[in-house]
Amino acid sequence: MGVVCVYMYPVPEGKSGQQVVDSMQRQLELLGAVKTGNFNVDCETYLSNNPQGTPQRSLHLLHNSEQPASCFSVLDTGTTLVADVLFEVLMAKLTQSKSGKDGFYQQRKGFKIESKGPRFEISDFVIKIGSVSMASNFKGILVEVEYCPCAIPAECWDLMREMMQSFMGTVADTPPAIVKSKKDQFYTPADTINQYLEHFTNFRKATVASQQPR
Amino acid sequence: MQKEEKHLEASLEALIQRVSELKSSIGALIGKLEHEYETLNWPSVLDSFALLSGQLTSLGRVLKGDKVPALKNQLLLPILISPEIDESLGKLTEGRVMMFNHEIPPTYLRTKPQPEVEEKTQQLVTKATCLAQDLAHKQLNNLNKFTSNLMDLMNSTKEDWENDAGHKNSQPQMCSQDDTNLLVATALYGKDLRTTRPRHPKSPQIGMMQAQQANNRQNPVMTKAPSAIKTTIKSAAASHPYQRP
Amino acid sequence: MDPSLHQALKTGIAPLHEYFLQGSILDASKEYLIHRLRGLCDHADSQPEQFNDHEMVFMLSGQQQAPFTVHLRHSLLAPECWHLRYVGVAEMGDKTRQTLVRTCLDVGVSETIIKFLNEMGFRMEYEFVARGIFFHKGIMKVTVTKMFKMNQVNDTKSLEPVSASHLVEVSVVASTSQEQIGEDMKNFAEQLKPLVLLEKVDHRKLQPVTSQTNT
Repeated sequence: MGVVCVYMYPVPEGKSGQQVVDSMQRQLELLGAVKTGNFNVDCETYLSNNPQGTPQRSLHLLHNSEQPASCFSVLDTGTTLVADVLFEVLMAKLTQSKSGKDGFYQQRKGFKIESKGPRFEISDFVIKIGSVSMASNFKGILVEVEYCPCAIPAECWDLMREMMQSFMGTVADTPPAIVKSKKDQFYTPADTINQYLEHFTNFRKATVASQQPR
Repeated sequence: MQKEEKHLEASLEALIQRVSELKSSIGALIGKLEHEYETLNWPSVLDSFALLSGQLTSLGRVLKGDKVPALKNQLLLPILISPEIDESLGKLTEGRVMMFNHEIPPTYLRTKPQPEVEEKTQQLVTKATCLAQDLAHKQLNNLNKFTSNLMDLMNSTKEDWENDAGHKNSQPQMCSQDDTNLLVATALYGKDLRTTRPRHPKSPQIGMMQAQQANNRQNPVMTKAPSAIKTTIKSAAASHPYQRP
Repeated sequence: MDPSLHQALKTGIAPLHEYFLQGSILDASKEYLIHRLRGLCDHADSQPEQFNDHEMVFMLSGQQQAPFTVHLRHSLLAPECWHLRYVGVAEMGDKTRQTLVRTCLDVGVSETIIKFLNEMGFRMEYEFVARGIFFHKGIMKVTVTKMFKMNQVNDTKSLEPVSASHLVEVSVVASTSQEQIGEDMKNFAEQLKPLVLLEKVDHRKLQPVTSQTNT
């Protein structure tokens, strides 16, 4: 596990998401990257049915195909829990409604968002180009770049930037906020998940905003 | 004379029977050792030994018994010695002795130990007689003392063991049902753990908040669904530490 | 996602069942039991494995819902190990069933779990320290546990034993109802008599007066 940067890659007017993905894939292959399968990061959101007096909580449950035996839960307070994938069953128990009474939490229907696409390797880097979709609507593109041999962002940021700018251009000028805040600490898979969650939240907000004017 | 002969014959019959029993048990033990050595356990070997020892004792008893005439006084002589194979002899001895030739009688009809053994015995006897009377006495005493010490030791150990076993039987209390219940209740329901101190040390106001909630809860529900009230109040009470006895 | 997990999620039923028997042994006789267990269980030639765990029990109670309880264990020997466990109500069943059965979920979690549970709305109900050793015999797990009260909140040093006995549990976690397991466990329990009486302890009788139901 190395350091990971996740960027939103803008889709220019008049181009489809697939076209952008395809052209980027061609570019990577020219650089010598080899496709090594597909990846998938998904996120479900739950809301608490708390009694009056306590604030309502939202809980995001995420999976990353890179860590298939784990699931990541992030509360709106920012607290992140890494757990065995069975934690989901626990969540299911909390969501279960019994004899007409609601569970402690309920899932937000139609709110599932995921990023999936091809995964590439080029020497020490792993690159993933994900198409983000929510309720099977295309929302945008997230590009993930991982530099495997190093776990401390400050040590490898310059190298990563050089690599990323070679195919993403100015998008990768500055490190993502989470990576920046952990410059001199060990980077963990939970940080990757939080980067994804931040992007997912932005996509969801954009969806709500674009729907409101209508 | 005839009476005596009959007597002898009867006692010989008895002896032969005992000996053949002994022989079959030995056979059984050998068979066991040869064929079951992989699964054989010590108790079963001990059983076989016990059987053999019992049979030997009873054979000895028969020999010493009053009913058996002194066999020492009987004469036994080979009447016919022949180098021919005797089939009936072979059958009698289960194929071990096929003919009664000149080699056989000295071995099979021997009444005294072999000369070399006899010589050795003689040597020991002379050595024993050479020994001074008081020295022999001393050694005998030593041996007796030794044996009795050993016996004492074994007896006391045996007593200890028996006492121990008796002790265990008289005090089978190694577990207590009450403790089981207490431990399970502690692990599962926090019995005795919750009452010892406030439940929410970090945020004491929560207890109050919940009490309030319990009150809030009671009133509106009361009017609507009486059947559901009890459980609601109960669970609210359950979450509050101060109301418990 | 794992299909069985998916199935479990869909039906809302945890895929795992725990079969177990409970008993206790007075501290004075513990050594006899350990000795016997070492003989009966696997790896008789190596030292039995020790554990020293801090267990915290969290409860989520709501307005309408029955309270939901989870047990969090933190190893004091390997502080990076956190383990969250949910157990359902133990079913006694009838005489033909040899063991207690309950649904259970075991989840390894990261060290953020306490904060996470608190923010989710859970509150810690009680805590204790469980110390002891465990054995394996095939898929059976045998634990001999000494339980301690904690005199100070969150202080795992100042302890006071709950009772003068060790809790003894034999358990098997299996995916489906397998009656053979019950037989095996019963036979194993027989071999520990009269040191320990491993039985189906009726949890309903031990419950505090106020009811709390988990399913």
